[in-house]
Amino acid sequence: MLRESAISFGHDLNVSAIKDPSLEAGIPGSRAILAFVDAVYSGIGTDNARRSVLDELGPEALVDACGAYGNFEMMNRVAEGTGIPIPGAAIERQADLIETLGLNRMLKH
Amino acid sequence: MFDFLLSPVPVRSDIVDVFRAHWAHLASPGATFDAHERISVAAAARRTGVAAPSNVPASVLQLASTLMSDPAAVDESLVRSTAESVGDPMTVETIAIVSQLSAVDGFHTAMGLALEPFPIPEPGHATGEITPGLKRRRTHVPMPAGPIPVALDLVPAEGLAMEALAGPLYMTYDEMAYDDFKRTPGLTRAQIELVSSRLSVHNECFY
Repeated sequence: MLRESAISFGHDLNVSAIKDPSLEAGIPGSRAILAFVDAVYSGIGTDNARRSVLDELGPEALVDACGAYGNFEMMNRVAEGTGIPIPGAAIERQADLIETLGLNRMLKH
Repeated sequence: MFDFLLSPVPVRSDIVDVFRAHWAHLASPGATFDAHERISVAAAARRTGVAAPSNVPASVLQLASTLMSDPAAVDESLVRSTAESVGDPMTVETIAIVSQLSAVDGFHTAMGLALEPFPIPEPGHATGEITPGLKRRRTHVPMPAGPIPVALDLVPAEGLAMEALAGPLYMTYDEMAYDDFKRTPGLTRAQIELVSSRLSVHNECFY
């Protein structure tokens, strides 16, 4: 879905940046966004990361990023807890993405 | 409750509203737990201890704690053993309480804010509202066929609560229909999905 939304905004998405945030993802503000997620997840450098999102993308964007973070904390746990299967068609469609991000070990359901 | 007086930036009213509604949901009797037990499950997830003794089985508290702190460690074996001990509906309600709490707490943590204290539980007994006739579909718990929004539908009130949270925090179904959705002002869908993708890598979850 990220790939489709990136295309719709005319971005040249580099999916490898999702795994390696030192790379440029090709989406405006991506370095600040990825660093923000990493900081919140690790609990290290959160003030600076939050400030970067705020300065670069604005206060509403910071709220949106926090909302997306909270929502996927929920969705990841629903997926793990219920064991909902990933449709075979989705795996097929995103085979290159799975390979690039090294997600094979996550396809345990 | 959820006043966000110490927030570094203003919080959208739809997020405030859904958090307040969710706290009322958490404080109400569920399908298999009374409200006090629901708060006990949430407290076990936060590892803050339980405010008062409850009858929540140890296997439920263990699932709650693990699912909150290390979701990738939750596998079929852990969930099925819990379900064999307390039943599928109570197991699903536990997964729901913890997952939904992680959305509320995750937002606060990301904002750099203290977590909201738990609500005071309302009186009343468990409702027993459970969807009949569902079965496992190579899944840890019974559910209808379909994508992730149906995963909690064995306990219908919890499926609805998850959907209610997801709209303001992420995107509503209507908004998700557009690849070029953009909050104005705010993030584009591509930027929003960058957040979710990176977090899913950290949580070792394909979703």
